[in-house]
Formats: sequence, C-alpha cells, structure tokens
Amino acid sequence: MPGSFCVSITHSKDNTDKATVGFVVANAAVASDKDTMVFLSIEGVRLSQKGFADDIHEQGFAPLKELMDNFAKAGGKIYVCSPCFKKRGLAEDKLVAGATIVGGAKLVEFLSGGAPSVSY
Amino acid sequence: MIAEKWNAGEMGCGELLMELAPRMRALAPGQVFELTALDPGAVEDIPAWCGLTGHSLVSAQHPVYRIRRREN
Repeated sequence: MPGSFCVSITHSKDNTDKATVGFVVANAAVASDKDTMVFLSIEGVRLSQKGFADDIHEQGFAPLKELMDNFAKAGGKIYVCSPCFKKRGLAEDKLVAGATIVGGAKLVEFLSGGAPSVSY
Repeated sequence: MIAEKWNAGEMGCGELLMELAPRMRALAPGQVFELTALDPGAVEDIPAWCGLTGHSLVSAQHPVYRIRRREN
C-alpha cells in the first residue's frame, strides 16, 4: 500500500523517551513501504547533528543512533526546521545522514499530499 | 529580463514567504522575480513554495532564485 507518513519530533535530550519513540514509529512506517519523513523542530533539531544522539539509549529500546541510522539507510527523510536550527547555532556541515534543512513550505508540501502525521 | 529583485538576507521559512508572496503578486503575469535568500532552508523551500503556489521556478542557484509569476 503506497503512501506517505510524517513523524514530527520536537524533543531531544529534554525528553529522550519522546525522541526515541518518534524514530521507532518512523522506522515502522518506512518498513511498511511508506514514503516517510521525520520533521525535527524545536529541541528536536539537535538530533540532526552528528554525535548528538550517540549517548541516548532509552530502556527497552534500541539506541537512538541505531534507530536513526537504520531509518536513513531504509530511505527515510529527515527535514530539519531552518529557524529552529539557526536559533540554536547548529552546524550545517554536521548533519546526519538523510537530513535536510527546510523551511515551512517543504513541510506544507509534504503534508498537503495527504500524509498522516503523528507528533512527539 | 528581471522585472524585480529582492535580497531577503538571512530571512527564512514562513517569514521569508510572507514577504515574498506579495512581491510576486505585485508583478504582471509572466514577469520574472529574482530572489536572493541566504537561509539554507531556501534550497528546499523555494522550489516547494513555487509548486504550492503555481509560480514557476526559472532557475535556482542558491542563494539566487528566479521565479516567473503565474498567469492568474
């Protein structure tokens, strides 16, 4: 069954449970042949930086880095909120695999295609 | 032929689009607008915005984008 799916993640180390579960669900979607996009905004944009998620490992879940790597390898896309990214002074040359900095129009375009979305 | 130009500087996301939209509407149909946008999100956002609004992206060589106003 084709289709697209969006997972919005607004947390990183301020709520590692939400950040982790967001990527677990994203992996479920991409593994279900959905064109899957994770939208990182607010504190979630920190996950776009190489190394940042390396020490996040929620009990009962795979390490977040592993979840993110698997997501990218499976073809999942990560959109990173541009103003949130700039506000925090993050580095464009340290983006993880699959990550692209975008503004609101790119998110609107994706969701306007009829993609369901779940937020963490 | 470029009808109008605007340098948005570091502006991005919704703020940029809210400034860009009326500038495009002010053009005559078919005229070309040259936008300079340094925001890294513009690379993905400007083509997406053109697709959403019906304006045509003539060229995109970040940070310079040329956009042809839609017919209506």
